[in-house]
This record gives sequence, structure tokens and C-alpha cells, in this order.
Amino acid sequence: MRARSAFFAGAGSVAILAIGWQAGVGSLMSALPTSAPAASGTNAPAGTANSGTANSGTANSGTATAGSAAGTGSTGTTSNTSNSPSAAAPAPAAGGAVADGTYNGQTFNTRYGTVQVNAVFAGGKITDVVAVKLTDQGRQSVSISNQAAPMIRREVLSAQSAKVSNIGGATYTSQGYLASLQSALDAAGFTG
Amino acid sequence: MTTIDATRIKRQHTSRLRRGDLLSTLVYFSVAIVLAIFLADGGAVYFTNIRDVTTGIGIVAGLIGSDLLLVMLLLAARVPYIDRTFGHDTALAQHRKLGKPVLYLILAHMGLLLIGYGISSGFNPIDEAFNMINTMEHMWLAFIGMALMIIVVVTSLVIVRKKLPYQFWYLVHLLSYGAVLAALPHQFSTGMLFADGTWARYYWMLFYVGTLAAITIFRVIIPVALSLKHSLVVSEVRVEAPGVVSITMTGRRLHELKGKGGQFINWRFWAPKLWWVSHPFSLSAAPDGKSLRITVRDLGDTSHRLLTIAPGTKVSFEGPYGIFSDAARTTTKAVFIAAGVGITPIRAMLEDPQLKANDATVILRGTTEQEIFLWQETYDLCVAKHASLRVLVGKRPRGVATWLSAEAYSGGERLSTLAPDIKNSDVFICGPMQWTDLVVRDAKRAGVPDHQIHAERFEF
Repeated sequence: MRARSAFFAGAGSVAILAIGWQAGVGSLMSALPTSAPAASGTNAPAGTANSGTANSGTANSGTATAGSAAGTGSTGTTSNTSNSPSAAAPAPAAGGAVADGTYNGQTFNTRYGTVQVNAVFAGGKITDVVAVKLTDQGRQSVSISNQAAPMIRREVLSAQSAKVSNIGGATYTSQGYLASLQSALDAAGFTG
Repeated sequence: MTTIDATRIKRQHTSRLRRGDLLSTLVYFSVAIVLAIFLADGGAVYFTNIRDVTTGIGIVAGLIGSDLLLVMLLLAARVPYIDRTFGHDTALAQHRKLGKPVLYLILAHMGLLLIGYGISSGFNPIDEAFNMINTMEHMWLAFIGMALMIIVVVTSLVIVRKKLPYQFWYLVHLLSYGAVLAALPHQFSTGMLFADGTWARYYWMLFYVGTLAAITIFRVIIPVALSLKHSLVVSEVRVEAPGVVSITMTGRRLHELKGKGGQFINWRFWAPKLWWVSHPFSLSAAPDGKSLRITVRDLGDTSHRLLTIAPGTKVSFEGPYGIFSDAARTTTKAVFIAAGVGITPIRAMLEDPQLKANDATVILRGTTEQEIFLWQETYDLCVAKHASLRVLVGKRPRGVATWLSAEAYSGGERLSTLAPDIKNSDVFICGPMQWTDLVVRDAKRAGVPDHQIHAERFEF
């Protein structure tokens, strides 16, 4: 390679790297322990009865709280109520329609963190799915979760079932989400 | 006239250099781009704590490894632009040079991620491998791809060393496409860098699709189309010397085939026990628009069957390839040095109309007089071009590393006496591997700049 071209190739490569660095510096800052937690409280829809639900026991950086519906700012507050939602789960209705209220799903461990969702019933139908905790380990998980969770929620609401297909590129989130949801549906005695 | 030629050749050389620089720059950029994708995705986070560093390096190794793997494939894809710039042989030499680093990078990718993920999930690397295969999408395919890749590189090295037959090597290399394809799904599903909806995903897809398309077009579609179009048939087989024949082929619309004297073609003769191997042979005459001719020496393997090939045999081909032709010229003067059957491309290049009178020096080597193949026509061409012609017959001297005959060597002949103006000439060398290396060595010692030395080696 001639010197001028070599210089151009080197300078261009550095420029490309600089652009990449610039684009990534945001997520770098948000992932550092000292910085403010990533705003991950947006993926759960507002306006459910499920206010102030917090996950239990993750006191680390705060990026863990994927969605408390009322927008507690997801500051990573450790839970004072270990696993009880505001609306205590009513006993499963025998045979008939599911009673209104929020049903807790179990937590599921995946490679990229634990996942837990609650199912909200009204009039015997799933009216909402609230993500309590989504995959958050690894720099990409949070953004993937934020992307995928609303998509899965939409699918679940329209299918009225936890048996919907995974979201491409968010396999772990999907699997954990749907497994947790299924446990919530089971708890509610919902058979679809 | 001469100045016009000089300008034209200089311009051709400069544009070749420029294209070479452009392509090299693109390779550097491609590496920079995958690193930028990693950084843009917040990849630097991995390097902020010790636990994740292993994972971070593992991801980077995989990215650079796959990027260079695609570069490797492109180098071997017979892309005309690449071959015209670097030459087919140089491109393949680069391809081989990348083989081991790419394998190491991808092995590092696998090893480091098994360790890195193993740490975060509390498994040892072996258990982590099974865990990944069980829990991560397309991971089993990636492991198969890895295994195939190890097989390809290891057998390539063994084959080069043990000189196993070409067709065995060819079959093994087909596996490398399997390796690339098997490794593909996990990059898009588990590899979160290329997640749905990111621009990186489209870039990466484009890179893969482009590479695979180049291979399909230039290695499959075009050769098949050209073979069908020209439908070559052996028209004449002439014995040049014991064990050496010239095979002439005719076909349809051959004037449309872009081939130059000195280039080579991979031939496949559709005769019993011959059709399943393709043979690379240089054209031994510049294409005249009606026929193509090669001159073949029995070099042991299946090529002895070519000596008795029947006229009327159908021939398919891939090529013409290579820039061991006037495309490589950097100056107006040229020195041609050939040994034995290495005369074939040289003989064809002497026909080049751009080669002017008094500009060529031809040096021929053979152990015996019979080994100066195509002698009469070479002699006639040299006369027509007013070329200086030297013929050195006889064995090499014992105990001296030289390409000269014993007689010439003891008579004090050297490259500088045989071709006094060699410093200002392009030197085209064609002969057996070690012999050619010795000529190249002497040319460098005589002060010929590297870019003026063009060598084509064949193996016995």
C-alpha cells in the first residue's frame, strides 16, 4: 500500500471507530454503576391498578426494575412487600370466568436475568400484562427487553393466551415472559 | 510510439496500484466497522469490569474473525475486479495467509465466550457448551460450523504438506461453505449485536449476501454460462515431444471470449476418468478468436490421460484467470524466463501486439534440447519481435543454488549478462516452484523492483 493510501485507510478506520464510540457512549454511561439508572420504566403500560410493585431483592444498579406501571422512576427500590401486589390475588374462580384483578406470575431465570410478569384480568379477559422484571444482564438486554416486551404484550392480549410465538432477537425475554405469564394464568385458573 | 506506450503502461500500472489501495482500504474499513458496531452497542461496557472482559474479547474476536472470513471468501471468489487488481495467485496467497488467523480468532471467540458465559452462569466451559446448545437458539449449528472449519483448515495444511491430490483438497474446501452457513444463524439470533431492527443487522446481512452472491455468480453461474455458450470441443492433439502434447479446442463465438496470452483456464475434459477433475493450464497461444490452445506435459497425476485425449471430446472451463499477462506490465521492456513446459504462457505473451520490436529478452531453460518445447514457434516469434533469445540447455551445477545450467554458470553468465537492461524491465518467470524462486531471488539481487517481477509457479 502506498503511504498516502495507508494514511487514508488508518485515518478513516479511526474515524469509523470514533463514530461507533460516540454512538455507544450513551449506553456505556448508563451501564456504569455510578450513573443514573436507565429509564426502563416505560415498557409497561400506564394506568393499571398495579402501582408500586417492585421486584424483590435486586438492589444493584436499578436498571433491573423493568417496569413499575405507575412510573416510580425505577430507582431500584428494594421491595418492602416481598411478592404481593396491591390487589391481592383472589382465589381462582372455579370453572367460570376469572375474577377481576392482578395475578402474579412466577419469576423465571434466564441467561440474561430473571423475568416476571403479572396478568391483569377484567371481565374474564386478559386486559393487561405488567412486566415486573425483565432480562437485564448484559448491555443489550435492557434495550431488547424494552423493544420486545410491548410486542409480546400486544400479541398476548390479542391471542388471550401465553402461547404466542417468540419475538425474534429476544428469545430469552420472550421465553421468560411467556413462562411467567403462563404461571400467572394458571394461578388465575384461566384456561383461555 | 514508444512514449505513448510508456504512458499507457504507466497509467495502467498506476490504476492497478490505486485499485489495490482502494481494496486494501476497504478491508481495513470493514474491520473498523464491525468494531464500531460493537462500540455503538455499548460494547466498551465489557471492559469496565474484570468479569466481563473475557466475554468482550470473545465477541470482538468473533466479529473480526467473521469479517476476515468473508474477506477470505471474496479473495477466492474469482471476482474480476479483485483478480485484475492483485492477480489470481496473489489473491489466493492472501486467502491462504488469512486462513490460520481467522481460525484462531473464531476459536478464541468460542473459547472465550464459553469461559465468559460460564463465569456468569456458574458453569465450567464444557458444561457451558452444552448449556448453550440446549438453551440458545441455533447454537448447535454454530458448533457444527466450528467443527467443519477446524476440519477445513487442518486438512488444508496437511494437504499442502503431504501434497494430497487437488480434488481431495477441493472437496474439503466445499465443507467451508457449510461451515460459513452453519455459523450464520446464531449471529442473527443469539448474537444480539445484529438484533432485529438495528442497522448493523442490515449491514451484516448485506455483507453476507454480497459475498455468497459473488461466489455463486463468479464461480458457478458465469463459468457454466460461458462453457455452454462456447461449447468447446477438442479439435486437434499434436505431439510436441515425448510426454508433451498441444491440445487445440474450437467452439462457438470464441471471439467474444476475453482472454489474453499468458492467462490460465481451469479445464474440465468430459472424457472417462478425466471429467471429475479440473486442470489449470495456461494458454500456449494467444486466443485468435477461433480456437484456444494449451500445451500439456505429463506431470504424473491424471494429466497423463490428457496425452491420449480424443478429438471431439467436450470441454468445459472456468476462466480465463490471472494477470500473468500484459495486464501486469509496468514498463515497456520485458524479460521472459521460462523452464520446460513453463514456456507455454511466455510463448503466448510473445504474441502480444503491444510488445514492440527490440523490447523483449527471452531466456529458455531445459535439461535437454527436447525440453525446449514449442521451440520453432517461439523462435519465429522472437525473430518477428527482434527479441534477444538465449537458450540454456543442460543440468544445473551440483552443490550450487542456481537456476542456470552448469555450463552457463561456469561460463560466468548471470541474469545481468543475459538481460543487461533487466532493472528497467518487467520480468516474467514461469517454471517449477524452486527453480522459479531462484530466478526471483536473482532478479531481486540484480536490483529489479518487486512490482516488476511476475512469477508463475507450477509443481511437478
